[in-house]
Parts: sequence; C-alpha cells; structure tokens
Amino acid sequence: MTSTLPAVTTPKVPAQRQPVPETRSTGRTAPPNRLRSSRPDLILCGALLVAILLVQGWNIADYPTLSDDEGTYLAQAWAVQEGRGLAHYTYWYDHPPLGWIQIALLTWIPAALSPESMTVGTMRAAMLVISAVSAALVYVLGRRLSLPRWAAGLGMVLFGLSPLSVVLQREIFLDNLAVMWTLLAFALAASPSRHLWHHFGAGIAAATAVLTKETMLFVLPAVFVTMWRHSHRDTRKFALTGAVTACALIGLSYPLFALLKGELFSGSGHVSLWDGIKYQMTRPGSGFILDQGSGSHGVLQSWLYYDRVLILGGLAGGLLLLVTWRWSVTARAFAGPSCAVVILALVAMRPSGYLPAMYVIQALPFLALVLAGGTASVAHAVLRRRRSEEEKRYVTGGRYALAAVLAIAAGAYVVPRWYDGDRTAVTADANAPYQAASKWLATEVADPEDTRVLVDDALWLDLVHAGYEPGRGAIWFYKADLDPAVTKTMPRGWKDLDYVVASPTVRRDAVDLPNVKAAIEHSAPVAVFGRGDDRIEIRQIQTAAGGVR
Amino acid sequence: MGIWGDLLLTSVFIAVVSLALFWMAAFTLWWQMHAWRTPEVLASTRFSRPDGGEHVSFSLLLPARHEQAVLDHTIQRLLESTHTDFEIIVIVGHDDPETAEVAERAAARDPRVRVVVDTHEKKNKPKAMNTALPHCRGDVVGVFDAEDQVHPELLAHVDHAFRTTKADVVQGGVQLINFHSSWYSLRNCLEYFFWFRSRLHLHAQKGFIPLGGNTVFVRTDVLREADGWDPNCLAEDCDLGVRLSSVGKKVVVAYDSDMVTKEETPGSLMSLLKQRTRWNQGFLQVYRKKDWKQLPTFGQRLLARYTLMTPFMQAFTGLIIPLNIAIAVFLDVSVTVAFITFLPAVTALVTFVFEVVGLHDFGKQYGLRVRFVHYLKLIVGGPFYQVLLAGAAVRAVWREQRGQNDWELTSHVGAHLTSAEVTRDLREDVPA
Repeated sequence: MTSTLPAVTTPKVPAQRQPVPETRSTGRTAPPNRLRSSRPDLILCGALLVAILLVQGWNIADYPTLSDDEGTYLAQAWAVQEGRGLAHYTYWYDHPPLGWIQIALLTWIPAALSPESMTVGTMRAAMLVISAVSAALVYVLGRRLSLPRWAAGLGMVLFGLSPLSVVLQREIFLDNLAVMWTLLAFALAASPSRHLWHHFGAGIAAATAVLTKETMLFVLPAVFVTMWRHSHRDTRKFALTGAVTACALIGLSYPLFALLKGELFSGSGHVSLWDGIKYQMTRPGSGFILDQGSGSHGVLQSWLYYDRVLILGGLAGGLLLLVTWRWSVTARAFAGPSCAVVILALVAMRPSGYLPAMYVIQALPFLALVLAGGTASVAHAVLRRRRSEEEKRYVTGGRYALAAVLAIAAGAYVVPRWYDGDRTAVTADANAPYQAASKWLATEVADPEDTRVLVDDALWLDLVHAGYEPGRGAIWFYKADLDPAVTKTMPRGWKDLDYVVASPTVRRDAVDLPNVKAAIEHSAPVAVFGRGDDRIEIRQIQTAAGGVR
Repeated sequence: MGIWGDLLLTSVFIAVVSLALFWMAAFTLWWQMHAWRTPEVLASTRFSRPDGGEHVSFSLLLPARHEQAVLDHTIQRLLESTHTDFEIIVIVGHDDPETAEVAERAAARDPRVRVVVDTHEKKNKPKAMNTALPHCRGDVVGVFDAEDQVHPELLAHVDHAFRTTKADVVQGGVQLINFHSSWYSLRNCLEYFFWFRSRLHLHAQKGFIPLGGNTVFVRTDVLREADGWDPNCLAEDCDLGVRLSSVGKKVVVAYDSDMVTKEETPGSLMSLLKQRTRWNQGFLQVYRKKDWKQLPTFGQRLLARYTLMTPFMQAFTGLIIPLNIAIAVFLDVSVTVAFITFLPAVTALVTFVFEVVGLHDFGKQYGLRVRFVHYLKLIVGGPFYQVLLAGAAVRAVWREQRGQNDWELTSHVGAHLTSAEVTRDLREDVPA
C-alpha cells in the first residue's frame, strides 16, 4: 500500500458530506444561519419595526409638503392602472417605467376599492410598506454582515427614525422603491448559504433597482464587492458571472422595450430612449456641493437641516471602517456598504453635476449601516481589544465605564435633536393649503367637465377625481409649453384656459414657460390659501375685455 | 374579426409555447448547475479520502471488440491499481481473433486477468457483459471500456465509498478530454463535464439516475438479482440505473478531476450523430419500458419522465427559439407578448454564460490551457451543435418508429492518449 504511516480510520465520517474548507473570516458574533427562526432577532426587529411604522405613519399625509415629483409618479401609476399606457401624457423615457408600475401594483387594491383615494396624500400610506421592508432588510443585512444584534438594531433605528429618513421615506419617490431592491440585492449577496441562485437573485434585484431608479447604477459595484467577499473560492466564478449576467439581462429589457416600440434611437415625430438619456445626462449642473451659494450646497444644507447625525456620522463611520480595514473584522465585513457610501459621496462631489434633493435617499441605508458598523467597531475596541482572562477588575470596569460615557454622550447629542425633528413630522400640517385648494376646485367650479385648469402634478389627481378631464381639462402646467400634443389643444394660448393653480412650484417654473407665465399674468386670484411663499393661489383667467372667458 | 382573431390566437399560442419552453430551460439550467449551488454541495460531490482499509473485492469487466491496438495498454494500466483485491475479465468475441490474442497474452502474464469469450451471433455490449457476469468472483462488478485511462487509486476510493455510504452502486466520473480536437468535441467535452460533474449528483440525490456506461460499480449480488443488463436496449447503462433506482437501490456518484476515467469524443461529426442517435433511441426505449413508474414519489416520476424525454425537448427548443423571436420582431404582436417570447432566449443566454464559465473551470480542473479561440468556438458552435442534437433526436424517433434497433458503428481515434500510440478503426461505440 501507499500509506506508510499508521492509517487513522474515521469510520464515522460520512463519505458524501464533507465540510467545506472554511475561508471566510469569522466574525465575533456569527449570525444564526436562519434569522427567521431566531426568537431574539425576531422580537427586536419586530419591536423596532412597530416604532418606525408609528413615527413614519402618523400624520403622513400632512407632512412634509406635497412634492411635485410625488404627483408625477402617482399620476403615472394611475395611468398604468387605468390602462392608459405608461403615462397619462406621452411617455418620453425620462425614467424607466418600472418604478411607477410598482407603485401602480402597490396601490391597486385601495384604488380599486375607492378610486378617490388615489391622491398623493392618501397614497403615501403605501410607502409604509416599502419603508417596513427596507428597514427589516437593513436589520437582516446588518446581521449577515456579522453585526451583533444591538448594532443591527441600531442600524435599523438610524435608517428608519432619523428625521431626514422620516421626511423622505414618507414621500412617493422612486428612490425609496429602488432602495428596497438594492437592500434586497445586498442581503442576497451576503446570503450565509452562499447559494448560487441567491447570488443570481441578487443580480436580478440589483437590475430591478436600476430600472426603478437609474441612479442606483452607482451602487452596483458595492453589490459586487459584497458578493465577492461573501462567496466561496470554489463556487465564486459561477456565482459572480451568474449575478452579472442576470443583472445585465434584466437591465437590457429596457432598451429591448424601446426597440420593440421602435423608439430606441431618436427620430422625427417620436420620443426615444436615446433622447431621454441625453436629456438626463445634460441636465444643467447645480454646482459644487461645498461651494457656498451653489444649488448643490443648498440641497446639502436642506439635508443637514433635518439630520446631521446620519449624514456626518455615516461619512465618519465609512472613513473609520476604511482606515481600520487591516485590523477590524467589521471593517472588512462592511466593504460593500462602505464602498457604496464612498461612491455616492464622490458622485455628489462632482464639480458641475446635477444634485437632486432625493439623491440622499439611496445613501440612507448605507450611511445607517456604516455608522452602526463603526459604532460596533468602537464598542469592540473599548470593551474587548487586548483584553485577557487575567485582566484586573478595575481595568475591565473602566472599559465599561468608558463605554457607558460614550453611549450617554451620543444619546445626549442625538435624542433631543431627533425628538424635535420627529415631533414636527408627526404634528405639523404642511398641506392644508393644498387640501383647501383641492376642495375649492371640487366644489366652487360650476362645470368641471368643461373647465381647463393649469395645475401642478401634486394636485392633478385631485382634479381628475373631481371630474376634470384628464390631460385636456386638468393640465400638467408645464405640458402646456413642452408637450406639442397639449399645445395643439390651446391654439389661442392662455386664452383657451380658465384657471391657473399657482402653487410654489408653478410660480417657480413659470419663468421658463411662456404659456404658463402668460396665463399667470392674465389672471387674477379668486381664492388664496396659505401665506407668504408657500401660498397657493387659484387664479381665474381674465380676457382682454376684462371679463372672464 | 379575421385578422384580429388570428393575431390574438397567434399571440396566445406563442406566449404559451414560450412560457413552457422558459420553464423547461430554467429547470434544466437549475439541475445543470446543481454541483455549484453552494460550496457544501460542491465539496460533497468529491470522493472522500480513503482510509487505507480494504474490504471489497472487484471484478472489472472489460468488453473489447476490435481493440487489439489499445487493449493491452488499458489492461496494463488497470493492473497498476493500488487496490490489492481485483480481477480483470476481458470479454472478446469468438469472431475477433486479434483482440482475443492480445487478451490471452495478458492473461498468461498476470493471473489477475481472465478472458471470457462471447459467442452470440449478433453482438453488443450488454450481451457481452451478461456473458461474463456468471464468471465474476468479486463483491463488486466494475465496467470499463477498452480504451479507458483509469487512475490507479480509483479502486481504493470506490472501495471506501462503498463501505462508508452503504451504497449498492457507485458511479465514478467519466470525462471527454480532447476539447481542442474540433468545435463539436469542445461542446461534447463540456456536456460530459456538466453531466458528471454536476447533474448526475442531483439524480443520485433525488433517487432516480440513468447510469453511465463505464466507471460504474455495482454490487455483484444486486446486479445478478436484476438479471444483469438488458440485451435489447440501446442504452443498457441508462436502463440499468433506472431499474436499480426504481426499486430503491442506493446510488452514489463521486467526481474528482484527477480520478475520472478519461475518454475521447467520436472521431467525426457523423459518428457523433450516430452515437447520439443511439443514446436518444435508448432513452426512448427506457421510457417505453416504464420501469421508472415504480418510483415511489410523484416528483421522482416527473424527473424520470422529464430526463428521459430531454433530448427530444432539447431538439424542439432549439428550433422554436429562433422562430419565436422572428414572430415577436416581425409580427405586430403586443409588447408584452413580444417580451414573453424572449424569455426562452434569456435562459438560453444564461446557459451560454455558465457554459463559458464551465469551460474555464474545466481547463483549471484538468490543467489544460483554454484559449480565447476555444471560448469563441464554444459560443459560435452553440447553435450548430443544437442543430446536430435536433438531428439526432429526429433520427432516433425515426429509427425507433421503423424498428431499427441495431447498434450503428462509430469509429474512434486515440486522440486523448498522449503519444500517438494508436489509431483504431471500426469498433462498437462506447456509451458514456
């Protein structure tokens, strides 16, 4: 025989079940393979979820102010539900349609039960579903990245209860849906079973996120990093190519859709994907984010106004994890989220890029996770680093005292600020003018069917439910100038209109829209709701003779 | 109504066909990737390391027909096995004196080699092996082909597997290795890779397995109880596996890249076509024998039905996918329907990508240099290979319908042997 050493017989080892050579770094607190059967995890996650839903759900319709974009997406979702195509005006490839198709599905049942509920304020409730799923996914992801239970819970709280999150996650933004898909992609990429089809699913979820909101493209490398770190050497090439293929194939369905409709390339007489992308890529920049006075700086200030902790703390946490890469297990486990934070921060720092206010939404879960990870790292350093069995008791006591002091200091800084922010969110009524305007237009106008109104997107659905003709009667104000199909219906310009609802958005954008500007100039307010810059005026068009049309 | 009704009917029809094809292809892909699902599954597909103990004796059957050129080499290599308790039974035909002479000479040199003469008028592999079965003295019967390169430590590993898993059957890996020979041999090698490396393990786990034609080991009593091989079946190996697993015998599959039996692809496109026709016809025969209906669970019977029909569905898929896409692009169907028609193509693409990765892994496992041109051949050759498979499937149905059950001859060249030792002509082809 070949063997010269006395053979060690191990007859108990079954031949067909070999353990895998372990190459993964072992974390301090290895998460249970099945979170759903771990009672403490379920209780903690469930309790936090109830708190988050309470804070986010209370007063959701009245705060924050209805945004124009919310109206846009919900109206397009309404068009999908009504079978009017992908939008109630010509769909022009501004964004991939998957986002509002999901909103349409999400609001399908309530809209079918009571069609009037399909307005921005009411349907914000649907976003609670998204918030809940996302918050739970943050917890799962935290645990899968080997965070201890308390730190995963902290991540969930940061993500769900920061006043900035509360404000933004309440709104019907595509970014919120995209965040949910991205988190799903991360959670699948970090699947403890390292299953080929989980990674494949991560690719699909990542592509869905991009098709929901295209800016999620920036986060894809971070998903890839996570998957790389969590896959096993022996199966990695299959898992990663599978995921990339899945992502690419799903992503390609969008251009394929355009191709099948004959709208891939620009041509005369039709919209095209090419033109849509060109528009998005050439949007005028809003300046450098750190340049005081630039538009981007204003956006940053508006974020910091709601919450400094999550943004600055998250960035600091990301930096800490990057710096401690060599020593910290947590830092290496958090390569994916840190990578996402860094990429998103760099993209936001482009000197002349366009920085929309909802940009920060996609960074929220990663800021929360790296801040929680950084906190766990610090806690570990304070409590466990270089600690031996025979450490003096007073030293150990000192460690706990220091940890307590740090925790109390952090709490003293954060809690009052968050309390104020969240109290505003659950008590303030920012939408009374909108609701009053909606009511006025529904009750005070004699025959809505024959009345033509320029209105912003947030109120558009209210008017449709009040009986105005969608598209021709209730007109998205900027379509009066920008959509040839609408302009054609008003050959005499402003004279063909009856009312303009001059909300802050309409007054702001009217500068660049000649028809809207003229309509405002040739009209007089018949009802005004609210005060100052936030007021909403309902203005009736005055013909040259001095009477109404 | 006319045109509208027609278009609607066409839309519904191609949507249904596309969805069916999509699910079929998705399941096939799912099973094909079985071994790489998780690192644990991958680790479990290997032989476990033998502990040095030996408790099983082997009778190795070596049917040889017009193999005088390679037979001696194969016997010599088998005799180098590290296992100490085995006999080699070479089966030669009474009408084949050249091969018989080589076998007799080997038997004279080494007492572990014996010769059995098959006197059947019409010869085939199952008849030859059934002739030898009464002469087997070992606890386990192993089957090899006359041109196989067998690893010296294989028997020790198989012995260990029998003891530790209480298996009735152990199937070792078989691998075509000459991927560089031609565009179709590249695809042929990869088919074997995915089949033995991955898919067979799933079958073993599910309790329904079509066995391979060699490097297969069966307990002698189990084999005798089952009356050996079916002499009238064109895929007697597959049939044996189906019969044994249908009555609940335990089958274990193990694949180690350094322990596989290396083989060569058929030497010409025509012989590949004939070989594939024979397998397909054999699968069809096994399907019609209905032994698989004894399988206890519905899921197993479904897997059996599906596996035995796969060649025909594969042929169908290959023809339908391009047709479907043409319909989607040129007919004025709705965008949704057009999207659905693309689904089977999407799974086909994913399969393609995994094949490319599989080729890379194949090269790594066997220390072979896979060049860019091979990847290119793999991709470009895909559709043509599909046509070949479809042709073989159609031929198989045609021959089965007309009752042509004879073994078609195929020729092999010794492309997998490192030195140009041999060039053999007409011999009966080797099933995997």
